[in-house]
Amino acid sequence: MTGTIRLLLPLSWRNLWRNPRRTVITVLVVGVGLWSILIFAVLLNAWSQSSRDTTVSLMTGEAEIHAKGYLDDPTAAHRLRMPSGRLAQILGSRQTAAWSPRVRVSAIVQSEYKTLPITFVGVSPTRERMISDLPRDIVAGHYLSGPNDQGIVLGQDLVRRLKTAIGRRVVIMAQDATGQLRERAFQVIGIYRASQTAEDEFTFTGIHVAQALVRAGSDVSEIALDARTRNELPRLITALKAAAPDLDIQSWETLAPLAYAVSTFFNSFILLWLWVMFALMAIGIVNSQLMAVIERVHEFGLLQALGMQPRLILCEVAIESVLLIGVGVIVGIAAAIVSVAAFPNGIDLGFLGRGAELVGAGRILHPKLAMGDLVLYSGIVWIAGVVATLWPARRAAKVSPVEAMGRN
Amino acid sequence: MDPIVACQNITRHYRQGIIDVPAVQGVDLNIMKGEFASLAGPSGSGKTTLLNIIGGLDRPSGGTVAIDGEEISQLGANKLADLRLRKIGFVFQAYNLIPVLSAAENVQFVLQLMGISKSERRRRAQDVLSQVGLSGLEDRRPARLSGGQQQRVAVARALASRPAIVLADEPTANLDSHAAEGLISLMKDLNRSSGITFLMATHDPRVIAHTSRHIVITDGRIASDEKRHNSPE
Repeated sequence: MTGTIRLLLPLSWRNLWRNPRRTVITVLVVGVGLWSILIFAVLLNAWSQSSRDTTVSLMTGEAEIHAKGYLDDPTAAHRLRMPSGRLAQILGSRQTAAWSPRVRVSAIVQSEYKTLPITFVGVSPTRERMISDLPRDIVAGHYLSGPNDQGIVLGQDLVRRLKTAIGRRVVIMAQDATGQLRERAFQVIGIYRASQTAEDEFTFTGIHVAQALVRAGSDVSEIALDARTRNELPRLITALKAAAPDLDIQSWETLAPLAYAVSTFFNSFILLWLWVMFALMAIGIVNSQLMAVIERVHEFGLLQALGMQPRLILCEVAIESVLLIGVGVIVGIAAAIVSVAAFPNGIDLGFLGRGAELVGAGRILHPKLAMGDLVLYSGIVWIAGVVATLWPARRAAKVSPVEAMGRN
Repeated sequence: MDPIVACQNITRHYRQGIIDVPAVQGVDLNIMKGEFASLAGPSGSGKTTLLNIIGGLDRPSGGTVAIDGEEISQLGANKLADLRLRKIGFVFQAYNLIPVLSAAENVQFVLQLMGISKSERRRRAQDVLSQVGLSGLEDRRPARLSGGQQQRVAVARALASRPAIVLADEPTANLDSHAAEGLISLMKDLNRSSGITFLMATHDPRVIAHTSRHIVITDGRIASDEKRHNSPE
């Protein structure tokens, strides 16, 4: 085998450059095709990642713990105690990067102009900062200072719709744990910017203030948490479920099915694009290799006359394809690396305005060429490209020497 | 002594539409070791067809061919290729060198197919190229060699594997008279000095004049087979 490759490799390489124009065109076909597949994968992955990150870092975290029944009826009646025992141990272990308890109930916010439905959330600001990006996205005023902070932080669009402002008061009405309607006035201390949906939905105050409003005592509605690494999440959830079998513990895929669907949909889209591009590339590769074989039928006859076995001729044409497509693959990879490197700070989707939010993406996409994708797609293109040339190679090997040498 | 080539009742027919065209008809021919033989005849007489059959490039419609004692008519494509590699050297009218390889690499290529070591390949290629008078031109590719030089490389390539027989099809047809004379002398010298057997399909009288055996084929049959002992120097 080594001897065969040593025999055929230099011959195949030199044969490639007998027709430089054709070789360059084929290399470009493969290179541009692979580049488009990789860039498509990078952009869709970045979009998918952005969609996931936006969801996870907005509120959800990578997983949430609730009392049974809360997800169907998110009121103060369905609440859980602050973690203790084995559950607290796991949340405090190295497996868990951060966790944040919340009181979270459906409520009504009322200004002097308007009344709107919202989700009223009581948070512990220090812990919340480790889970959610919202505390960092304040555009006016300031975020909550502690669990006893009695101010309220609203989304930018909600402030606009309520026609309120920093320093003004709004009234929150919510049902308490016994089903009684409770209300309280809050001073607007901060305004955050996020997706329009989030801005309209979530309002924040100190967790102790919220607990008092809905008479939840020291109980909470949910605990949001992040695993140390994404790969550890399934194991962490299993451990949490074992420690608290009476609680409802779900990952972000279940809690945010739209974001998860976007991610799955994009993966299918990449696969579809791979097939389309490969079909186009295969036509180009087979065409160019078939021409290369037809032009050299006489030479293949000569090689057979000299004693080269037909299987070696098949090998020679196949090695030419391996080299030709290999060069194309290298060009495609290099072009993709350069393209991704051209956006070190990410791609700003600001020009889409709120449109990007509609499809679940954040404002900045961070394109990243994953080594796994690089190897997978390049490998598929390389192997499939070589397989596509086996037909012309087989034709070359089957030609009889006397017939081949009769052609000029 | 066993013949290098033993043909018995060789026939070869081609189909042209519904017509069966006989190219070779019942040829019996033995070529002995060390012979310097020419196979002559008018165009279409069947000499190239017979040479192709002897060289294992074409299969006879009937009869048997043995090269160096090995019956080849029934061999498969791979075994036939292997036999050509080890026992037959070819020199073609159109030189037929591999264009992307230098003179030395063209010679070494056949040896590499045989699995001969790199050092031995180099030594043999240098020897045969020197024998055919091409020392100093080893690294030139065919496009940078004259017709005569290319045909010498082809002869060197045919000799490098130390074949039982060299089959040459119109070896001087594309050469000017000076190059043709040089090539004829070269092959004659190699035949004398190394005892290499040559069978050449030709109608070049200069080649025929130098051969020790002259076979004439007409309409696919051997018309005459003349052995001579006083070919010109």
